Amino acid sequence: MAHLLTLIVVLPLIGAVLNGALATRLRDAPFGRTFVTVVGCGLPILSFLLVVRGFMELLATDGTPLIETAYTWARIGGRTFDVSFYFDRLSAVMALIVTGVGSVIHIYSIGYMHDDKSYARFFAYLNLFLFFMLSLVLGRSLLVLFVGWEGVGLASYLLIGFWFDDPANAAAGKKAFITNRIGDAGFLLGMFLLYWAFGTLDMDKINAAFTSGAAPVISASLAGVLLFIGASGKSAQIPLHVWLPDAMAGPTPVSALIHAATMVTAGVYLVARMSGLYSQAPEASAVVAVIGAATAFFAATIAVTQTDIKKVLAYSTVSQLGFMFVALGVGAYGVGIFHVYTHAFFKACLFLGAGSVIHALGGEQDIRKMGGLARKIPVTFWTFAIATAAIAGIPPLAGFWSKDEILWNAFASSAGGSPVLWAVMAATALMTAFYMFRLLWLVFLTPSRMEPKVAHHVHESPLSMTGVLMILAALSAVGGFVALPHFLEPLLPMAKTPEALHHYETPLLILSVAIALAGLAGAWFVYGSGTERSARLATRFASLHRTLTNKYFVDEAYDRFIGRPLVWLSDRVFLNLGDRVLLDGSLNGLARLARRTAGVFSRVETGNLHRYAFFVLVGSIAMLAWSLRHG
Amino acid sequence: MIENLLQNLDTLLLIVFGISALVAAALMLVLRHPMQVAMALISTMVFLGGIYGLLGVHFIAAFQVLIYVSAVMVFMVYVIMLIDVRDPSFTRRFSTLLVPGVVGGILLLAVLAYALWHGLRAPAHTTVSFGLQQFSIAFLDEYWLHFELTSVLLVAAVVAALAVIKVTRKKHG
Amino acid sequence: MDKVQFLLLIAVALFALGLLGVIVRRNLLVMLMCMELMLNGVNLSLVTFAQQTGTAAGAVLVFLIFVVAAAEIAIAIPIVLVLVRRKRTLEADAFADLKG
Repeated sequence: MAHLLTLIVVLPLIGAVLNGALATRLRDAPFGRTFVTVVGCGLPILSFLLVVRGFMELLATDGTPLIETAYTWARIGGRTFDVSFYFDRLSAVMALIVTGVGSVIHIYSIGYMHDDKSYARFFAYLNLFLFFMLSLVLGRSLLVLFVGWEGVGLASYLLIGFWFDDPANAAAGKKAFITNRIGDAGFLLGMFLLYWAFGTLDMDKINAAFTSGAAPVISASLAGVLLFIGASGKSAQIPLHVWLPDAMAGPTPVSALIHAATMVTAGVYLVARMSGLYSQAPEASAVVAVIGAATAFFAATIAVTQTDIKKVLAYSTVSQLGFMFVALGVGAYGVGIFHVYTHAFFKACLFLGAGSVIHALGGEQDIRKMGGLARKIPVTFWTFAIATAAIAGIPPLAGFWSKDEILWNAFASSAGGSPVLWAVMAATALMTAFYMFRLLWLVFLTPSRMEPKVAHHVHESPLSMTGVLMILAALSAVGGFVALPHFLEPLLPMAKTPEALHHYETPLLILSVAIALAGLAGAWFVYGSGTERSARLATRFASLHRTLTNKYFVDEAYDRFIGRPLVWLSDRVFLNLGDRVLLDGSLNGLARLARRTAGVFSRVETGNLHRYAFFVLVGSIAMLAWSLRHG
Repeated sequence: MIENLLQNLDTLLLIVFGISALVAAALMLVLRHPMQVAMALISTMVFLGGIYGLLGVHFIAAFQVLIYVSAVMVFMVYVIMLIDVRDPSFTRRFSTLLVPGVVGGILLLAVLAYALWHGLRAPAHTTVSFGLQQFSIAFLDEYWLHFELTSVLLVAAVVAALAVIKVTRKKHG
Repeated sequence: MDKVQFLLLIAVALFALGLLGVIVRRNLLVMLMCMELMLNGVNLSLVTFAQQTGTAAGAVLVFLIFVVAAAEIAIAIPIVLVLVRRKRTLEADAFADLKG
């Protein structure tokens, strides 16, 4: 089908433009809400169907990439920059996730944002996000990807600060955008380096250039590290992870779609897409793996003590992203993408379930004021439980398959796997299981700590919300049976594992299951009967608890060591010295000089007629003398 | 002797009138009372008129006396008589720029004299003096544009004078 | 020194004396009269040249200078009168209002 990819990308844009332009008019129109819903949800669903169609075509041609050039963007001095789209196995998987999970979250938003006065604006922004995200995953060149990259950053900013009347939300949006931008500086430098070396930004060509075996023109590791800086900004890895927990200020569907399933995985997608580069860059891959592991462990420790339901999930996302980067870092690119795929299902389900809980409790987000909800909102409870089990890694749910693959490759990969890495990730998996089940218990299974007013009004969410939860829970359950790494293998080869270590595979598998169950047991033990035991533990390890609750004081450190010096520099040096003294001073100085010079010259006009006549005399003598001399 | 004298009378008179004009002009600069200065100027102009006559351009000599002496200088004399001249400019005749002025004047004279001495070609001498008829034909035939422009200038002068009168009349009721 | 040179020298001298007079004399009316002297000097030089070359151009110009000089005096003197009425003095130094 002609222009298939362009259509896939552009359909959500049309939805964004329509809803965005007509937002205020639609608010009061009789069928306004229906129009917004139909356009806002219908176009993403249509996009999804087109992606499925494209996927069928791809299968039919056994994975031959579909390349489509939409138009030529620029022609600068003999070099052309096209907007072209590229559909191969990896793009297909990502596009299916983006449009599929995206569409169901759009449907969820119908119920969640029903009473919001900016209903149309929300769908406009969501569709805009979808457009940019599809541009990101379907782009052929790093340039198109970067456009999508920036665009999802913009959409994220708009959606985090959606309820901008509260300045805290706007500040969170700004923080997200600015932190992203810092990462983007590295991304841009990487792009410049690659363009300078290869004269093209098409990713397939760059990968081919690196894997062709010819001597590298530039250091692959340098480009790899630069691109990874961008990826860590977008995917919230240390040290640029600070924006993701604050991003929870946005509406829950936004948290689910953008900050769990799709946007944050853009960094993972970038590294996987540039697998040709990273496979030739052992230093860069090592950096990726180390940062991924550190982030995973670090975020998991924080998640254990958080008391806001969405913050727990936010840190959990950061931690799971760390898992994905570890997989990429040891050369198991397909496994990383597999985890993206399963994570999208269970994390979206968890977030939407949290949204359902918040909706049921009329806005309460503190888990210390929840409890006993299992009987009251059963659908939410059961879907949440399934998703929790999936993330904890209990077989045969989806999370188990992907997480186990990652742990195996972390141990055995010949491109960086080691027992130390495995141990860190295993500890993180243990903590993951622990804090997720902690969440489940505290929200649903422990006796109620709700305020009576809130408890009275607890009600199940409408079908548009619970239906989506059920779909996602089902996918979390059975999604793992799709052998995604093998599907992606022709494009992203599996990591090589030495034969000698193969006999560890089964023991490690059993150990993974044991870890998951241990986490479950631990949570049951500590939180099974409520918060008393955890409170005692908190007082016993008070300073550790305080550090973890305050997220290791990272934000405060950034403010003191980076923020304040920069403000001081701007104020003292650039404003006072540079702008006022230098620029204004030189301008005013020039004006003063002109005035003084004029003042000096105006002394000629004395008003004395005799003097004027004398000047005439002198002038005429001079003229005559000169003309005499020069004939 | 008489013929010799008569032949040279032209030149003699020319020299006499020339020197006299110069002396009278120099006197202008040193006399105190403006009336005395006006008299000196009148005598300069009369001597110049004489020179014109000696040169053969009688109508210009006539104009000189008619316009300059009888119109311009008479006007000047009336004004001098009208205004009380006993003010500081009477007691102290010379401005502060006396010395520089004199020096400059001498320099100017030197430069111009030098230019004259070395710049003049041998005169294409035609002692033919032209008469009023030739003059008037030339005036209204070749130089009519100058004539018209001058009349415009005079109209402008009249308008300016009227404007000054109107303004002063308005100011003083 | 022949006639033409002599006359031109006179004319130049008259002009220089006129300009000098404007510079050194304080009285406004005397300054005006010195300007007339300058014009006369120019007239003399023009007549001399006209007589020398035999064309009428010089004479026409002299005639026009007469006219303009007359008009100029006709305007300048009332201006001086008005000014003097204001400042009550004929001294040129008193009219330095346009200073600076």
